Formats: sequence, structure tokens, C-alpha cells
Amino acid sequence: MIRRRHGLLLVAPLGLVLAGFFIAPVLMLVPTSFGEYVPGAGIAKGVWTLENYARIITDDYYREVIWRTLGLGLAVTAACLVLGYPLAYLIARGPERWRVPLILLVIFPMMLNLVVRSFGWIALLANRGLVNNLLMQLGVIATPLKLMFNMTGLMIGLTHIYLPFMVLMLVAAIRNVPRDVEAAAATLGSTRIHVFASVTLPLSAPGILAGSILVFVLTVSALVTPRMLGGPTYKVMATLIYDEYMQLLDWPSGSALSFALTAITLAIIWLSGRVARRWAGQP
Amino acid sequence: MSALVFEGLGKSYGETTVVREVSLTIGEGEFVSLLGPSGCGKTTILRMVAGLVEPTRGRILLGRDDITRLPPNRRGLGLVFQSYALFPHLTVYENVAFGLRRRKVGGAELDRRVSEALAMVRLSGFGDRHPRQLSGGQQQRVAIARAIAPRPRVLLFDEPLSNLDAQLRDEMQIELKRLQRELGITTLFVTHDQGEALSMSDRVGVMARGVMQQFATPEEIYHRPATAFVASFIGKPNRLAGRVAFRAGAGGRVAVGSIELAAARIDEASGAAIEIVIRQEAIGLRPGGGAEDAVGGTIVLRSFSGARVQYVVRLADGIELVAETPSHGALAALEPGAGVALDIAPEAVLVMPVEGAAA
Repeated sequence: MIRRRHGLLLVAPLGLVLAGFFIAPVLMLVPTSFGEYVPGAGIAKGVWTLENYARIITDDYYREVIWRTLGLGLAVTAACLVLGYPLAYLIARGPERWRVPLILLVIFPMMLNLVVRSFGWIALLANRGLVNNLLMQLGVIATPLKLMFNMTGLMIGLTHIYLPFMVLMLVAAIRNVPRDVEAAAATLGSTRIHVFASVTLPLSAPGILAGSILVFVLTVSALVTPRMLGGPTYKVMATLIYDEYMQLLDWPSGSALSFALTAITLAIIWLSGRVARRWAGQP
Repeated sequence: MSALVFEGLGKSYGETTVVREVSLTIGEGEFVSLLGPSGCGKTTILRMVAGLVEPTRGRILLGRDDITRLPPNRRGLGLVFQSYALFPHLTVYENVAFGLRRRKVGGAELDRRVSEALAMVRLSGFGDRHPRQLSGGQQQRVAIARAIAPRPRVLLFDEPLSNLDAQLRDEMQIELKRLQRELGITTLFVTHDQGEALSMSDRVGVMARGVMQQFATPEEIYHRPATAFVASFIGKPNRLAGRVAFRAGAGGRVAVGSIELAAARIDEASGAAIEIVIRQEAIGLRPGGGAEDAVGGTIVLRSFSGARVQYVVRLADGIELVAETPSHGALAALEPGAGVALDIAPEAVLVMPVEGAAA
């Protein structure tokens, strides 16, 4: 066991860096989020207001963006889980010699720059992109499908980009499920499907939870891909915050939105942790 | 009636044969152990019976039914793992209820049978706990309760006691045997511990390198080992290379260097090279010299191990034997350098063909 004093020493370097360059700047934004933005003049001096937060709740446009962001986060997480679990199961339980090639295949897209990957999707999904052209030439559709600047485009792009994270988390979790415990269920009368549902799935719950939280957090805070596949008008919270800061120079609103996003994310992580633990039968 | 029958059962992985043709018949209610060093194929046999490993050759019959190709969930057997393999996310109650629920047992009947199974392993009142809140011994008892609750036709044990400490293991041996007698369930028990196998079983199958060496009662295995492997694996053997001096009736005399010993049973021809196995506990010691015909030697080492004392005795030609006596009385206090005479009954001199020459 590491003693507490030594433990503190071990985390001290990272702790100091985070405190100085992450926590302090974030805390400095707290007063900003209660300030008032005067167009053309910047932040009004000596004025404190809850207006920025109130607007997030009352303003229809902000509410729509928040729901869209959360919906996108949940949908991408669910898609990654559904697409990733079978693959992770194959990697964890399939032939030994497939494991390394498959894992390399999974992480290969991560070696490409995010902008390049997003451009790749633009080339595929645009109105005159590969997918629409192909479908139209085959005569399946008459007019191009709208695959970009909407939820569909963001879902496709973000699911592709964050799937590797989910798969890697799931592989580790599934490999941790003891084979004997599954065999025990089988000898007690469980069919393969029942073994999976009653043993494998609940015992890999920690990995499902970790992977889901990771993908959700990455999705709701993603900036580059939503900007490129969503365009200037179809916004999520990250792009909205970016625009508040950089286009409108409305720092107070941007800060308030940032804190709202953080609070919502933390609440969802906390809630999902509780649900997952109850499901997996742990106190 | 036979409860479990293996007909030429075998398993190979590519070129490697793990289990050669094994055939044996286990009677209803019988307690049979498969004993052997690790890698001898005993666990593979157990897993083939459970349906977790597919046999390459042969058949497995459960009563009159051929279960060779049946999936594990349709065999109705109870399996207890070395690792316990409890469901960590379920309570003790739900662990034990698991197999019953699969057999559509519900309501008051489920409650009654879970309580009954937990009472049998003396864990009543532990139903609400989770496996990780229990000690190793308690976890193993839950695993046993879980296996017996659905009343399986055959109980299978895969080294169930080897993760327990020595004292607990002795307790569990007695408890297990009592439980098996009470329930009368046919039991196949895999172990590498000869004490476990000999003390618990009606019959023991000794295995080496995928081959069943001998399948017989514990007494027969101990006193009349069929192969050199069995003779040297069971008990604490002295192994000596020698040859048959001459034969007289069923027995005769064997020679190790210049020493001759009477043996009660010799199957080899006169003059043949043989392996002689004499158990440490079968060698009697007499202080001082001895009668003319007795084998004499000198004690070179004394080792005290609680209930027993071991002596290393050097005989003529530098041959060394280990002899064991109880750790009380005059015989337990012999010092290195003391001369002793050895009493070895002809029945205790086991004559085996040289390993490799046979089989």
C-alpha cells in the first residue's frame, strides 16, 4: 500500500499543473458568467446579474440547442454501444491471433487528424457527395438525401470518431468477466443468450458505464466535427459557446453556457453511475 | 445401475492428445475421484462431462442417455469450480436460486429449496450477503449449495478444495463426504491431492499423461498399484532400480546392488531389470545391528515433522532409503550415525516394470 503522504506527492505535479492552468482560469470565468455584456463596450463594470443563466432556461433557442446536444450525446453513446459491443466481444473472446490486428483496425482511424476525418465525411455525405451520387445513379432516390447540417450528419460523424474509445473500454471489461462464471451459469441450465444477459452483460457493466461516460462527454463537448458537419447554423452547445466567445464576444453568456454544460454533464454522469450500479447489483 | 459411463473418451488439440481413450463406468451414488498431476487430463475429462469441452473421440452416457453432443445447459449436472465461480453481482440466495429458476421452480417451493440447500452447507441466514462479503470457505460452500440445489444427476468437482488452507480443507473433506452420502448423488471429483482422493472416494482413477493408469478402490490403489507411475505417485515412495534375483511361486527375491529383498509378488522374468518401490511408512526400524538376514544401515539424517519422523538411512553400496516412524517412543530419538536394521515386509516391496518399457 502507498501511504497517504507518498500518494499526495505522486499526484502533486499533475495537481499543480491542473490547478494553475485549468482550475484557476475556470474559476476566473465564474465572475464573468454573472457579468453583463454591453454590445460594443464589453463587460459592464460593477454589474452583477443572473440574466445569463436565466436566459439559458427561458430562451427557446438556447433550450433547443441544449436538448439537441444532450440528445446527440445520448444517441451517439447508444450507437457506439450497440455497434461497439459485438466487436469488443469478438476481440475479447475471439481467436487469439485476431486480437492484435482487430485492435489495430479499431484504433487506426485515431491516427488520422480529426479535421481530415471530418472532411472525409463531408466528401461522403454532401448533397453531391459519394453516398448521394451513388444512390441517385442507382436510381434509389431522385433528389439528394439531406445527410449534412442536421442530426444525421453529426450522428454519423461523431459515432465514427468516438467508437474506438467505446470499443477499447468494452474489450477490457469483457476480458475481465471470468469464463468460469459463465460456464457455471451454463451448467445450471442457462442458454447462451441467458448466460450473456444474466452474467456477461451485468459483469461488463463497469466497462459499459466507463465507455458510455467517455463517449458522452467527448460528444457533448466536441467542437470541430459539429462545426464542419453541422455548418454555421446547425449548432450544438460547444459550437454555440465558441460563437458566443469568438464571434459575438459575449463572454458572460459563453461562460454561463459553459457552466451549464458542465453541470448537466456531471448530473448525467452521477445519475448513470447510480443506475448502472443498481443494475449490476452492487451497493 | 451405472450412472455415468465413458466409452473410449478422448480429446486432442491438433497433434496434442490430452486424453487418450478412457473408458470407465461409475455406479449410481458412487464417489469417484480422478487423481493425477497437473496436465494429466483429469480436468479435461470433467469439462467434457460438463459439456464445456467437446470430446474428439468416444461417448459419454448419463444413465441410458448419450449426452456427448448435448450443450451444458441441457445436461442437468452440478459443477463446482476451483475458483468457486459465484455470480458476484447476485446475493447468496440468488446464486443458489439460479439453477432452480432455470428449471422453472418458483414461489414457496423456490424459497424452501434454497433454504434447504443453504442449511445443508451450514450457511442458513447468509442469503442476503454478496459473495465478496464471505470468506473463501464460505464461498466454496455457496458454490456447493448452488450445484446441489437443482438436484443434479451427477455432481462434478474440479479441485474444489485446493484454494483453501490446510485446516479448512480437512474440515471440508469430511463435510463434503458426509453431504454426498446423505444426498446419495453420484459424484466425480477431480484432484491432484492423493490424501483427498483416497480418503473421500469409493473408487479412484489415477491418471498420467492422458492415460488412465488404474481405476480401483483406494485400498487397491495404495496396496496393489498397477503401474510404476501409480506406485510412485501414491504414498511417499522410495524408488530403486534393481533386477529380479530369482522367482519362487508368485514372489521371489529382488536385488538392488548387493542387497537382496524378498518380494511377495513378481510378474517379471528372473534377471529382468525392474523398478522397486518401497513406501517410507512401510519400512520398520530396529536400533543396533540385527539378525543376519535383515538389511542393515546407518542413519545419516533425521527430520521431525510433527506426528512423524523421517530418517534417511544409508545402506551398503551407498543406497539411501527414507524410512518414516511415529514421532514418539525410542525409535523417534535415533541420532545420525546410529546403526539400524530395516524390517521390510515382502508385501511392501512393490516390483514394477521399468517405466517406458511397459505400456
